Order: sequence, then structure tokens, then C-alpha cells
Amino acid sequence: MRAFASLPVILSLMLTSASGHLPLPETSADQPVRASNPVREPTRFFGAPPMPAAQELPHHPAFREYYFSRVAYTGYARGWGRGFGRGGASWAIDYPKADQIFLSFIDRLLSNLDAYEWQHPVLLDDPELRRFPYLYALEVGYMNLTPPEVVGLRGFLLAGGFLVIDDFWGPNEWANFEYQMEQVLPGYPIVDLSLSHEIFSTFYEITELLQVPNHSNGINSIYGGSTAECYGCLPQVKGIYDERGRLMVVINFNTDLGDAWEWADDPYYPLKFSTYAYEMGVNMILYAMSH
Amino acid sequence: MFESLFEFLFKYRLLLFQEGDFSFTSPWPWAIGLIVAAALAVPSALTYTAARGDSTAADRGIMGGLRLGALSIVVFCLLQPTLIITSVVPQRNFVGILIDDSRSMTIADQDGRQRSEFVTRNFTGEESELLNQLAERFTLRFFRFSNSTQRLGDVSELEYRGSRTEIGPALVRAQEELAGVPLSGLILITDGADNSGEALAESLLPLQAASTPVYTIGLGEEALSPDIQVSRVEIPRSVLVGASLVVDVIIAQRGFRGRTVQLVVEDEGRIIASQDVELKRDGEPVVARVRFEADEAGPRLLQFRIPLQPGERVGRNNMREVLLNVRDEREKILYFEGEPRWEVKFLLRAVGDDENLQVVLLQRSAENKFKRMNVDDGEELAAGFPKTREELFKYRGLVLGSVEASFFTHDQLNMIADFVSERGGGLLLLGGRKAFREGGYEGTPIAQVMPVFMDDELSDGSGPYFAEVEVRPTRSGLTHPAIQLGKDETALEEAWETLPAVTSLNPISKLKPGATALLEAAVGRGSAKQIVLAYHRFGRGKAIVLPIQDSWFWQMSADVSVDDQRHETFWRQLLRWLIDGVPHGVVVETDRERVEVGESVELRATVSDSAFMEVNNALVSAFIEGPSGPPLERRMEWTVDEDGVYGAAFVPTEPGLYEIRVEATRGAGSLGTGSTFVHVTESDEEYFDAGMRRTTLERVADETGGRFYTPETVSNLPEDISLTGAGVTLTEERDLWDMPFLLLLLMSLVGGEWIYRHARGLI
Repeated sequence: MRAFASLPVILSLMLTSASGHLPLPETSADQPVRASNPVREPTRFFGAPPMPAAQELPHHPAFREYYFSRVAYTGYARGWGRGFGRGGASWAIDYPKADQIFLSFIDRLLSNLDAYEWQHPVLLDDPELRRFPYLYALEVGYMNLTPPEVVGLRGFLLAGGFLVIDDFWGPNEWANFEYQMEQVLPGYPIVDLSLSHEIFSTFYEITELLQVPNHSNGINSIYGGSTAECYGCLPQVKGIYDERGRLMVVINFNTDLGDAWEWADDPYYPLKFSTYAYEMGVNMILYAMSH
Repeated sequence: MFESLFEFLFKYRLLLFQEGDFSFTSPWPWAIGLIVAAALAVPSALTYTAARGDSTAADRGIMGGLRLGALSIVVFCLLQPTLIITSVVPQRNFVGILIDDSRSMTIADQDGRQRSEFVTRNFTGEESELLNQLAERFTLRFFRFSNSTQRLGDVSELEYRGSRTEIGPALVRAQEELAGVPLSGLILITDGADNSGEALAESLLPLQAASTPVYTIGLGEEALSPDIQVSRVEIPRSVLVGASLVVDVIIAQRGFRGRTVQLVVEDEGRIIASQDVELKRDGEPVVARVRFEADEAGPRLLQFRIPLQPGERVGRNNMREVLLNVRDEREKILYFEGEPRWEVKFLLRAVGDDENLQVVLLQRSAENKFKRMNVDDGEELAAGFPKTREELFKYRGLVLGSVEASFFTHDQLNMIADFVSERGGGLLLLGGRKAFREGGYEGTPIAQVMPVFMDDELSDGSGPYFAEVEVRPTRSGLTHPAIQLGKDETALEEAWETLPAVTSLNPISKLKPGATALLEAAVGRGSAKQIVLAYHRFGRGKAIVLPIQDSWFWQMSADVSVDDQRHETFWRQLLRWLIDGVPHGVVVETDRERVEVGESVELRATVSDSAFMEVNNALVSAFIEGPSGPPLERRMEWTVDEDGVYGAAFVPTEPGLYEIRVEATRGAGSLGTGSTFVHVTESDEEYFDAGMRRTTLERVADETGGRFYTPETVSNLPEDISLTGAGVTLTEERDLWDMPFLLLLLMSLVGGEWIYRHARGLI
């Protein structure tokens, strides 16, 4: 990891200086969001922290260049998948803490990026979906898309949107994800992305694929425990290209970047995994916004 | 009619009175004449006063006046009134006769006969009255003129095949040839359709200085009717392959008022566009706008044609052929973006398939961290935004995104301004939170370059400006190639109306003088509109502003089909327009794009170095390749008049397409190459605007002291030259006492008195 050796330093400094308290977005209505690029209020729901009311914003509802938009998809697991708080849904794993901490780091790592500081879940069948060309989805082994969601995601991707998949493990979950994507993009193969792919060098130079473990496996790994959530699983990064060779989907398989983002504030969670996860996170954002 | 009546009454033509001097040639002194007149008048007056009879004072006054009038005429005649005129000495002077030998003389509009028949009728054969009259008075010298002017031994040698009518050079040449002889004047026989492209006034100066009158004879109708003509085609000489073109075709007509005709565009036999054109009033030109794509690379000979209409007088002016050089080159544009933005992704995506555009991206992704894309090698832009003219000027277009002015050094800001004004590059300024006034550009050199003022009329002043804008083309935009999203104006308007709204953070509403807005949007704040796309020429280049921040929504919106190509088309056209006409280091031009075999072609090459400073000590060679045979090499010399300009000439020897490639070197280094094309073919220029140009010919005559004639009035020409021409002259006196007018007047006065008396009973 040649470029940006400073990232671990930044992470360390943020962790130590905050004494375990990361600079999370302020949730108080007294603290308006940054309104340098105001316009449109993004979709907010699913137990998100309370947002300032529109009339309390200085000028307009917020419209920012970049939203970390988490896909709230219909899933198999634990009942009907859309109800955050209704026994939990697979799309909302690590939500919203992972999103918030990730965005607080992005604010420092990509200081030029006009990023919305809040978690931002979106529905695939929402017509406004295409206002947010960057989507993040995880636990897709439990994804069970409805026809309108299939149509919405297909249109999003073919129009030029970018989807990042994370945190699903093993052949069973892969099979489900593969089936779901076959519904969305029939005939578009899933291919391996080698380390020579530009997404690994867009900002940070990543020379090795790491298996980013969940929180407990991460801590156990310090004592020699496995980072995998399934036996013998190796981390893989795959992708789906459109017919003109443009990358539409990045698939982080057998790895859990989200947990590393979420637990970056835990001094027991190994720094190398957080560093890798943030480097991948930054690279994926910049790649998506320039390719 | 008037002239005939005048000549009957006054014995001589009006011209003699205009040219001659009036005098009395009576041997008696004036005083004696007056005494005699008084001797006659006084007794008459006394007689009328004394012998009153029944007459009143008024009767006596009237009758006395009539009688005195009659006596005055007698006295006038006794004083022998004379007209003193100067006329040339027969057979002592020369007259040059210049006959138009161009193709337009074959147009049959002289009562159904060709214009050239006037020449045949009047200047060949022994029975030609005009020729005989002229020959009696002058020694005649004949000249033919069209592209050039030559002495003519026999009028029957005229062929009427000349491709041009160059009146000015013809007059100068004839005057020079006859400089050593007493020259009474020149006779110019032509339709007057001068297409030399030279200022006629300059050619007339030596004639005016030598007091050589030119007598012009105009042949043909002033307005050919019925006739349709493709007068002009407004098209660039060179475009990138795949360029969308909106070409203005100016059509003139007479006799087809209100009719709809079809304008067809063909590329070597293949129809690439057609459009119905409704003709307006006779004589009123119509501008037809034709849209098509230049989809095949190489020099293209495009024909803009209107099918021959029934009864047309001239058919060959229904078609214009133009040469369009469709370049298959890859042009480099530098896009500098100050932050990660979706606009980058979608812009690059939109033009990614365009083989002729290389958009080199330099993006500041974090403080002092830059991302480069589409660079040629690892060295390109390795140090960030260019710091030298050489580094920046190798690009033909520059796009600045959301980047604050303080990022640049003052030298870099000046360099960007010079990129437009001196290098002739295209500058596109995008909107964003760090662009325009919001980016601190007020008072910078780039503010000078912009086509707009950074006003805040649209802002309500309560905070950062933000507007959702529904973009619409302006009147100018409807016909501009950069924003063509439809096949015609209706489709274009609909295409823009159905695009989703986008947003702007930059309140731009005021154009600078001379700038043009192509896209705009109402934002509901007074009458001022948000300018969305505007441009102007600045120095050698052009500056364009697009103060919106998310044109990518035209691609991503759920209201836009995934297959919709409007976003791609817009950006491809916009970037192609950005670099359209941007010069290379070596620019080659010819004085004409179409010549005939044997006509000289003037080459002109402008040579600059990599910093676009003109170079005067370069070694410049032109390689001219015709349809067959080996390339011809011509050394081009610095013209001295202008920095960096080199000239040469060549004469094509066969019809076809000639490619001219120019290479420039200085020392061991190459300064670059440039190329252009010339089409060598028979010219049809003579058939355009082929009506007789009366005003031109009258002007030539007036400014030199000659007269203008038509075939109907030309019979006076020999005498007129005698009276008004220069050369060896003599003075002669012409009696006026025997003018029929005087007799008629005398009889009227005497008769009038008798009638008056009779009526009043005074006899």
C-alpha cells in the first residue's frame, strides 16, 4: 500500500484524539447540515436519526454532490425485509453506525468531496433513486428483490449508476446473489477484478486483497483466530461490466468492509483492516465518480 | 422620346448643350445690338401708349409684352447665337473596345437571344453600323476579358468560355496597352457581373487620373425571371468526422413566389439531407437551414441542389458545390476539475465513444492530490495544472470545472486568458460551488474572458444561490450546431422541453456585449433569466460558459430512457464545438477553394511554435499532390508583411482534388504540419447573380466621365465619344439661330398677340 501511508496515521489520530468518540454527525436539530450546495431533501426513513426540519435549515433542503446511499432491499431474512426495527432486515446490518462513521472519515480523507454527512437509505423502486448514482448494499445473500426493485436497479445501473456490494459469505449466499443479479442484469457476467484494475489504485494503491473480518472475528484474529465467516472462504473482488466495458457493480465477496468502517473507533479492532476498508471505500467512491 | 423631341426642337442633342459653351458670334458689338433693340422697342411702346383706342391698361401691357418678346427673339437671332463644342479629330484618336468573353455572355436573355449576339451583330461584318460609325471616327483596338485580358485581332475569335468576369483588371490592362496613343476612351461591353473580388474603385483611379472616359454597354436583363439560385452556402471548411452541421443555404428567386421547392444535399451522389423550402416574395432571399452529419472522413464534395423548375432562365445556378474537409483526427481537451463530481463521470462517459475527442482529465481529489485520466504518458500533467504556455497550449480546448480562482497563480490565470486570446483555444467554464463568482473569479483575467457578467440579479441575497432550471434553447440556440438534439426546430424544442430540470449555484443572467446565449432558463425571479449556455469570440479563440452543475441528470433521471442519447449528443457536440476552428501550429489556407485548370492558387501558411508565437525563420515547404503524378514541392517564403506568414503559389494542371500539405521546421525541430484541399474544376461562378449589373456599369461610366448604354441607346455612342472623349480634339462652332424652337416661339408670340387682339375686339 504505497500511496497514502498517512491513512493509518489519520485513523489512529482520530481514534486517540476523540478518546473513543468519533466525530459523528450531530443529530441535534439545532445543528443544521452544511448547506453549501442546498437543494433537495433526500429520502429519509427507517429509523434514521432525527433530521433537522426543512424550515430549520438555513436556506433549502440539502442537496449534496455525494450521498452514501444504502440500498433498502426486500430480503428473505427475518420476515419482510423493509422494516428496520421490525426484527431487523439484512439490508440494515451495521446501520446506521457504519454509514455515519464512514462518512465522518470520508469528510477528512476526501476533503474536496461535497458529501452528505448522514446515512441515506434508498428504495430501488423509488423514481428518485437515480438522483443518487452511488449505492451500497450488503448481506445480499438474503436479498429477494421484487419485480419493481429489479426494474429499478436495472435502469439505475444501465443509466450509469454504480453499485457496491459488501459483506456476504460462502457459496450459498453467493448463489442467491448471483440469482438476484441474473434477474437484474440477465446476460451480464460477473467477472473477477484483479489487483491491476484501476479501482485498486484510483486514490490509494492497494496491492493485496485482505479479508476484512467482522468485529468479533477481527478481535479474535489478533489471537490467531480466523477472519472468515465460512470455512476456507477467501476474499474476492468481482465486478459486472456493461456492454461497453464500463464497470457497474463492484462485489466485495467473503469480506466485510462495513464492519471495519463501523468499528474503526474500537481500539481493539485491528487497524490494518480498517485502513484497508477505508482505502477501498475511498477508491470505490472516486472510481465511481470518474469512470 | 425625350431626346428625340429635344433634338427636333433645339437642332442638337442635349449632350452638346451639356458639353459645349454658349456664345454670340455677331460681328456687331453688344452695345449696338442693345441700341437697335431699344430703337425698335421704344417706338413700339410709345405707339401702344398713344394709340389707346378701346384698350385697357392690361390689354396694352399684354400686347406690348408679346410684341417685345417677338422683337427680342429677332434681336437674339441677329446676334448669331452659337454653341462652341470640342470634339475629337476624326481618325486621330484611338478607342479601346473591351468585350466580355465569359460564360455568362451565353445566357439567352436578350429577347430570347444570347447576350453575345449583340457583339456579333454590332462588331462583326461590314454592315455593322455601330462598328462603321466608330471606325469612321476612331482607330479601334479590341480586347477580350474574363479571367485575364488579351488583345483581340478579330471579334469572331471570342469563345465566351471565361470562368470569371474581372472588369477592374481589364480596364487597367487596356489603358496600359493604349498608354502611348491618343485615347478617346474605352468601350466596355459586358453584363457587368464582376466576380473578381477586387475593389473596382482602385481600378478606376488610373482612368480618372488620365481622364479616360469609359463608355459601358450593359447586356442582358437586370433581373432574370423566372429563376431560382442557390446563392450561398454557409459551411465551415473543415470539421471533425461525426460533426453535426447546421448549414445555412441562401436561396434567391424571381418568378416562383410562394412556391415550395426541395433542397437536396448530396455527398458524391448519396443524398445526406433534404428539406422543403418555401419561397417568399420575388427578389427576397430565403435562408434554409439544413442539418446533417459529416459521417465520412476525407475531403467531401457536397452538392446543395434545387431541382430545375419549369421555365427557369438559368439552370446551372440551381446547384452549389462546396468542399468540406472532414478530419479524422483525435483532438485533445484538458478538463480540470477541482473536486470529485458526478459531472466528471458522466461527461467522460458521454464522449467516451467519440474517437475524435481525447478528454484528458485532471481532477483534484483531495488537497494537493490529483487524479489523471486519458493522459498520453506518465509525464503528462505529472506536476498538476500546466505552468507553462507550451504545456497548456498543446491542448485545443480547456474545460474548467468547480475549482476556485485562488487555486491558480496569477501567471496561470493570465495563461488561461492567453490560451483563448492568443493561442485561439476554446475555453469552457462549468458551473459549480467553486465556479464563477462563487469561486472568486471576479476581477481575475478569466473574468475578462467570460462572455457573461458575474452579476447577482437572480439571487435573493439571503444566502447561497440555488435554482432548479428547466433549460430551453434561445432563438440563436435553435440554429446552433452545439445544441442540436432534433432533426428540425420543432423536434429540437421538444427534445429540450422533455429533459428534466437541472440545478445551478451560479446566478448568471447578463451577457457581455457581443456574446450570444444559446440556452437559458426562467427561474421565476423577475424577467431576468438564468443563462445556461453562452459564448463569445475572445481574441483568436472563444469562451463558453455552462453555469449548471448536474447535466448528468439528463442521463440519470428516471424520466429519461436508458437508451436516450441526448446527454451524450449534447456533450459530444459541445466539446466538438469547443475545439472547432482552433488553429494548429501550422495553418494552411488557399485564396480559393475552387479553381480552374491553369489558374494560379495562392498558398498561405501561418507558422507558430509550441507557445504559439509566430515564427519568421522557419523552413516551410508545401507538398502538392494532384489526382495523378508525383507530389510537387514548393518552398514557401516568409511574406515579411505579417509575422509567421509564408506564401507560395502553384498552377494546377489537371482537374480533380489537390491536397496541399505544409511542413515547417526550425533547426532540427519540427514545428508541425498542416494541410488543406483545393478542388480544380470548371467554374460555374458566371451563372450566379448573372443579371445585368446596371449600377456597377453606371458607376464605372459616371466616375470616369463616360456614359452608360443599353443595346437600345447604343446608337448615340459614336457621336458621344466624339464630343466627350479625350485625345486630340478640335473646337467647332454650331449655329443656334436656326433652331426650330426659336421659330416656333416667334410664331407663338406674334400669333398670340393677334389672337388676343381678336378676342378683345381691338382690331
